[in-house]
Formats: sequence, C-alpha cells, structure tokens
Amino acid sequence: MQTENKKVLLSIRDEKQYFPIKKTSFREEQKYVKANDGISLDIYEGETLGLVGESGCGKSTFGRTILQLYPQTHGEILYEKDGQMIDLKKQPPEKMRELRKELQLIFQDPYSSLNPRMTAGQIIGEGLTAHGVYKKGDPALRDYVMDVMKKCGLDDYMFGRYPHQFSGGQRQRIGIARSLALKPRFVVCDEAVSALDVSIQSQVLNLLSDLKEEAHLTYLFITHDLSVVKYISDRIGVMYLGNLVELSTTEDLFERTMHPYTNALLSAIPTTDVDDKKRERILLEGDIPSPVNPPSGCKFHTRCYQCQEKCKHEVPELKDMGNGHLVACHYPLTK
Amino acid sequence: MRKGRWLVKRLIYIVFVFFIISILMFAIYKALPGDPVKMMMSDNVKPEVYQQQYDTIRKQLGLDQPVPVQYVKWITNMLRGDFGYSTEYRRAVKDVIGVPMRNTVLLNLFSMVVVFLIAVPLGITQAVKKNSIFDKVVQVITIVGYSVPSFVIALLAIYVFAIKIPIFPISGVKTAGFEGTGIAAFLDAAKHMALPVLVMSVGGIGSIARYVRASMIDALRMDYIKTARSKGLREKVVIYVHAFRNALIPIVTVTTWWLIGLFGGSIVIETIFLWDGLGKMMISGLNQRDFSVVLAMQMFYVILSLLGNVIMDIAYTLVDPRVRLEN
Repeated sequence: MQTENKKVLLSIRDEKQYFPIKKTSFREEQKYVKANDGISLDIYEGETLGLVGESGCGKSTFGRTILQLYPQTHGEILYEKDGQMIDLKKQPPEKMRELRKELQLIFQDPYSSLNPRMTAGQIIGEGLTAHGVYKKGDPALRDYVMDVMKKCGLDDYMFGRYPHQFSGGQRQRIGIARSLALKPRFVVCDEAVSALDVSIQSQVLNLLSDLKEEAHLTYLFITHDLSVVKYISDRIGVMYLGNLVELSTTEDLFERTMHPYTNALLSAIPTTDVDDKKRERILLEGDIPSPVNPPSGCKFHTRCYQCQEKCKHEVPELKDMGNGHLVACHYPLTK
Repeated sequence: MRKGRWLVKRLIYIVFVFFIISILMFAIYKALPGDPVKMMMSDNVKPEVYQQQYDTIRKQLGLDQPVPVQYVKWITNMLRGDFGYSTEYRRAVKDVIGVPMRNTVLLNLFSMVVVFLIAVPLGITQAVKKNSIFDKVVQVITIVGYSVPSFVIALLAIYVFAIKIPIFPISGVKTAGFEGTGIAAFLDAAKHMALPVLVMSVGGIGSIARYVRASMIDALRMDYIKTARSKGLREKVVIYVHAFRNALIPIVTVTTWWLIGLFGGSIVIETIFLWDGLGKMMISGLNQRDFSVVLAMQMFYVILSLLGNVIMDIAYTLVDPRVRLEN
C-alpha cells in the first residue's frame, strides 16, 4: 500500500489513558497506571493496522480508548465524518452513541463478551434496533440478522440459541457478526483470534479479510501473535509500556527492523526450519517495568541489550526514517 | 416435557422428606419435658378428684395410647386437614391459627414491598456510582441498618414516633374498641402497622441493598457490558436490561427465602409491638406446652421450605438460561 493519496480515517494525537490506583492511606498522593502514555498515529481508510506488544503494554486500552469506552485522560482522537475531522472525546453522549454504529469492537474473550441471557439473534439484532435501523419484531430484521449470520459462517438454526450452547469459534463468529451487523467503517479487533485454536484462527482470519474486502472496512488489529499480525496487516505498530516504539509497513518492519525491542520480539517467532542457524534468539532480561513508575528516558532502557548513557535520560522521539517507517530510538538498528 | 418429569420427581421426593421430618418432629416434641394435661388443669381441685379428672383429659387427648399409635393418628388427622386441639385455647388449632397468620402475612408483605422498592434501586445506584461519596455514605448506613439488632431499632422507633412525636400507636393490631369498616378500618390498620413495618424494613433494606450492590458490581464488570455499550445502547438499557437481569441470580435466592419468611413471624418484633402474629403464637405455645399448635406450625414451615426450594429452582431457570432442570 502506498502512503500517498490515502484518506486518513482516524488521527490520534498524543493520546494518554491513565487509571487511578486505589490509595492505601488517606494522605498518600494519587498514583496512576499509565496504560497509554502519549500515542500519536494515523489510521488510513481501508487498511489493516496491526498492533503488537507484550501483555500489559496498553494495546487493548488503546483500542478501547479510541472507541471512547473509557473516559479518556488526554489527547485528541480525530475521526473523519462527512469530510470533517471531529474529536470523539468532545462529542456529547447522545452524539457518541450514534457514532458507535460506525466504530465497532470485536472482543478478545468470546466467553465473557456475550450476554448469557440473550439469544444469538437478540445479541446481533439489538444494536440495529437501538439505532433505529429496524423496528423491534420486524420480520426484515430477522432476515437481515440471518443474512449476517450466514456471512459469518453461522447457520440459521443458531438464531434462537444461547451463547453457552456454542463452541468458542462459533461464539467468536457471533461477536464478529454482532459488530459487523451495524455496517461499521472502523473495527477494533481486540485479540479477536487469540482465544481460538489454530485451525479456527485461520478460518476466522480469512473470514475477517473477506468481510473487509466486501464492506470496505478499516481494522485495528490488536494481538500478541506475530504470525497472525504478519498475515493480516498492511502496517504494524509495536508498543512497549504505553508507547509506540516502531510503526511501518509489514514488509518493512520484518525486513528493516530498527527498534531493538521489535528485533527481540521478531527473534522470538518460532520456526520450523532446523537448519536456520543464522537466527539468534535475543533474550530480554527482566520483567516489563511497572507502568505506575515507568523508567526515565527511553522506557525500554532497563531491558535493552544495547542501552547507552543517553537512553537513560533522554526520551526518544518517534522519527521518520524514510518511507513512513517511524521509530522511537536514539540508536536505531541498521541492517 | 423434561420440566414436567422433573417436577413430579421433586414432588415425590418432597413427600418422602415430609414424612421423615414429621416423625422426627413428633418424637422431639414427645420427648420434651412438661405435661400439657397439667397445664390445662386448674390447681384448686381436690386431690381425690384430681387424678380422676387428669385421667379423663388424658384419655380425651389420646395421650394414654402408645407413641406410635399417637403418631399415626396425628399424621392422618393432619393430612385430612385437622391439625389437632389446642390445649391453651381449648379450641381446634385451625380456628386458633387463622387470625395470627393473617396478621403476620400482612405485616411481612408490607415490609417486603417497602424493602424491595427501596433496596433494589438503592443497590443499583450504588453499583453504578461505585466508590462515590453517595455510595460510601449509603454503605455505612446499610451496614448499621442490618447489624443493629431489631429490638434496639424498635425501641428507638417507639421512643421517637410514639412518645416524642406521637403520630403512631405504641403497639397493637387495631385501636381498642374500634368498629369501622372499609377505608376507616384500613387506615387504622395501616397506622398500627407503620412502626413494625419501619423496623422490619431497616434491617431488610440493609442486607438486600448490599446484595444488589455486590451482584450489580460483578455484572457491570463483565465484558458483555462493554459490548452493550459499544453497540451504542442507551445507558439505561445497559444497566437495567444487560446488567440487572444478570445480577438477578443471587437476588432470586434471597427473595425466595423472604417469600417463605412471609409466613414465619418475627418473635422479637411481634412481642415488642404486641402484634398478634405467628411468632408470638409460637412462643406462647411453647411456654404453655401447647404442642398441637407448635407442631402444626412446624410442619407448615417444613412444607413451605421444601416447596420454596422447588420454586427457587424454577425461578433460576427463568432468570438464567444456562440453568436447566435435569434429574
């Protein structure tokens, strides 16, 4: 995909999301978990942007904050609507409710994200009646829901069943059908395939890319599975401890890895090639630092295998290294 | 059809349990110390007539027969709807028990309505505004409400609303010598009921509001609430349709026990307010060794709790489609 002449669908500027921690004593200063600490990026219409990183680095928070499911702490989330960029944070609740039709989310856990008291048909159809697309009890609604279900690989007879009567893969399809029924423009897939086993994963991934072609969707694909993200994404962003450390096209990221963290991540992809001696596994030492008190300077410096004095004090900016390849590192790798 | 078969099985099971419990109960009451015949007789009878009278009454009550025979007689009479003869009131138990039962059910029904009308919205609001000042204040009030003993609250209520500001009568079911009908009678009863209902509601609201709050917080934390929000539903729909319906499961358990409790009088409150109800009746029956009354009431409670369990299981299937009635 070319970077030029593409329409920006979402433009995120310095997005921060902090969560207050429960204070242990009354006089203690209020502390925050800095789940997202200043993220800026553009999402183009029609692309699939993959977002990878370790558990707890703020990927899911980022996806949910874009959709305004948390009270956003700081920054702008500009969304293109009828040729204008509107800030989602500033929308009144009623307006935001209408916008939700266009901004959808597929959840990670197909077990907890479906209301156990509603049938598949009710779950998929509820959003449509809430937005007045169909009236409650309209036979056309039933037909439409059945149609969406069929597209997502669910059979007609499943319409009246409850979530507990489905398998994990089927539940995830209900989740997908539910979000796509509203004909959204932008879908956040929050670990949409991580809970499924590998054979179902590929089915669901193919389904997602087919549906994307059909309805001209834009995906933000959040995952920790690098092979999945390589398969489905046009561009990939790498996150570490609440910050974006590298962002580029998929090919470029794998060919010209620039951030040491990305390099370590990529070296961890398992291979089936026993003769591959070139590959060297880069082991990162220690655990991910606490997002309450992140390290000074470059947040990665405590675990970086080529850390230098400068990294401990100066925060690296996200710089364009050419071809839209952004990296936040003082000493980017060159190959 | 599965439901029908399940119900039949459960009912057969109930019959068995009922008979086993009835034998146990009967044996326990027979083993209790105290002689009902002696309690019935007046003390100023001449000693030579005494023994003769004693034997006659004993024979009348059938107490001279062996215990198993007495049991069979008692249980067959019970099943026919004859609950025996009250030695305290010298009337059939059936006639004695009617008015107190009506009084108790009336009192409990009113307090139950008051409790649920207040506690459920209160608990939901607390859960939605979790950790706000409102929530914290209400939490303190509810914990005080259900941990302070009811007789303390009763005495306080009497002191405030019947003595300092005398708007309600101190005790009783109706004004002495009152002969009104229709609205006048209802108002009189309501006036007498106000204080006992108030006292019973305080504890009830405390515990039910805490149940509702806890289960609503659990429900609101679930991912499907985020799903509902991201569908673009109105916040009211999210809270009342998606969260509350899922929070109902623990509430059903509590509610069913309350429903059963409707028929069990509160001994403390009925005694303080001189409310002529089942709780008072039970205590005086025990004091007077009036075993027919006590036994009849006990068996009534046994049936209620056995049926209550069946009702609870059916209620679960109504609120949670994952629960199925199986053998």
